[in-house]
Amino acid sequence: MTTPTTTARPVVRARDVTMSYGGIDVLHGVDLDIHRGEVFALLGPNGAGKTTTVEILEGFRRRSAGEVSVLGADPERGDDAWRGRIGLVLQSWRDHRRWRVAELLTHFATYYPDPRDPAALLALVGLTGQAGQQVDRLSGGQRRRLDVALGIVGRPELLFLDEPTTGFDPEARHEFHVLVERLAREEGVTVLLTTHDLVEAERLADRIAMLVGGRIRACGTPTELALRAAAQAEVRWTADDGTPRRERTEDPSRLVWELHRDADGPIAGLEVRRPTLEDTYLHMVHQENDGTDGAVNGKVRAA
Amino acid sequence: MRGTRVTNEPDTADVDEAPGGTNGPRRPTRRYWRAGLLRGGIELRHLLRNPKEMSGHLLNVVVALLIAAYVSDDVPGTSTPMAHLVLAGFAAYLLFQVGLVNLPQMLVTEREEGALLRLRATPGGIPAYLVAKCLLVVVTAVGTLLLLLLSAALFADGPLPQGAAGWLTLLWVTTLGLLAVVPLGAAIGAVLPNPREALALIMLPTMGLLITSGTVFPITSLPVPVQQVASVFPLKWMAQGLRSSLLPDSARAAEPAGSWELPMVALVLTAWAVLGFLLAVPLLRRAARRESGSRLTARHDKAARSGAPVA
Repeated sequence: MTTPTTTARPVVRARDVTMSYGGIDVLHGVDLDIHRGEVFALLGPNGAGKTTTVEILEGFRRRSAGEVSVLGADPERGDDAWRGRIGLVLQSWRDHRRWRVAELLTHFATYYPDPRDPAALLALVGLTGQAGQQVDRLSGGQRRRLDVALGIVGRPELLFLDEPTTGFDPEARHEFHVLVERLAREEGVTVLLTTHDLVEAERLADRIAMLVGGRIRACGTPTELALRAAAQAEVRWTADDGTPRRERTEDPSRLVWELHRDADGPIAGLEVRRPTLEDTYLHMVHQENDGTDGAVNGKVRAA
Repeated sequence: MRGTRVTNEPDTADVDEAPGGTNGPRRPTRRYWRAGLLRGGIELRHLLRNPKEMSGHLLNVVVALLIAAYVSDDVPGTSTPMAHLVLAGFAAYLLFQVGLVNLPQMLVTEREEGALLRLRATPGGIPAYLVAKCLLVVVTAVGTLLLLLLSAALFADGPLPQGAAGWLTLLWVTTLGLLAVVPLGAAIGAVLPNPREALALIMLPTMGLLITSGTVFPITSLPVPVQQVASVFPLKWMAQGLRSSLLPDSARAAEPAGSWELPMVALVLTAWAVLGFLLAVPLLRRAARRESGSRLTARHDKAARSGAPVA
């Protein structure tokens, strides 16, 4: 490897992007860099500006200010050739209900210069058995997998996934994750994922950005973010008298060593819990709301 | 002539230099036209297979035939059967309905479901969509028109154009009539809020025009101010033009001006066609531009709250 992908021009680059609707600022200076072949997750509570950010990148919304480059072009001036290099999977699509699955996929393949083979694509998303079925009759998960197939039929270099697994059962979700990983690892597709699902973000994303209150509050690998949490590690064990104990500490290793030293033997029910991505996330959201809204911090443990 | 050329290698690991997506085998515009025509063909097949929608179109034809069979007098002041006037009027109404009722409804529904957004996100999707819709509308309109005229001629002694001139008139009035209503219908479909309200908003004026435009009885039996208002809209002129093609020349005595006024027919329909195009292009562009995922979600939420079935 002579040129690592990170030195190349990023696929998505945003600098100081702001957005205001009727005097209300929704985004206050968002910066983003997403590199080729990367799975990038944008996390944030409802109303944080996720949708606005993604729609600006998709070219569906005009930003108020700032610089944006997606696949080397300004999305506001993206032409058909540019469109052809982008794939889109949205939550709300209920279109083409009367079409048959294979018919729809084959039709959308005709718009692209070098499409995937529709039959192979159906196999890839696990819809071969539904090829002749009417789109209307698909289950929610099948419909979403068809949306994914339609999103990648033109071999996009950049794929937008908007809350892709909402309403999936665990198995369908797992299969979907495998599919996204394959696209990114084997075919070098860059993926921008928006999600509420922290487990999904942690599982899929190379890097995660947390958008809270119209600002990127944190950005990094899942591990980096988890470590950045203000929350400390938690050590749990069962004391000699049988009562469960827990203690928060910056240095769990030291605490465990001390416990062992004092006990001079094995310790029942010993468990070390590292701060999780969820801790970081809730901490960010909590900070933003600053105690004004109790709803979101119901799960936040005292830090 | 070079030797063999490898056009694509799908599974090589290092496809990092971004080809730019312009190495298509055909010119893009040709690909979009092809996609549009294919799309139109598929939509047409879906229409033919959809019993609900097909029965809607067929019902119009049946109603026209029943009314034509029911009326037995002649058009006042002529020896032309009233049934022929009714059939010519219904033929005009069919074109009018396809352009100004069915088309806007289709556009609003597909916009709401997200088809427009998907095509917007697809290279060449919007031009292909328009090509497909034109094909669908023209085939539907001409198909029902011919079905009405031929079945009327077969079963109800209905009128058919007299000679080449009559057929020619039928052709240009149909063409110009569609040009007058289809872009207008597209413009309406671009601005109407949602399918449920759209139908109510369109049907009332349409029914009003059906009654006041002299389609099912001679317009001269209506008060002059009503005639004047109806004369502003295309339906009156489409019906008059089709009568000139389908009815014997002597029947023009029953027309308000005592003649077919074909130049006026052409003029009014052309004016509506121009107006329709002027409105449709920016409005459709605006409708497509405004589509985005969040708007789609908002509409679905709203529809769900108002109790509409969300599949």
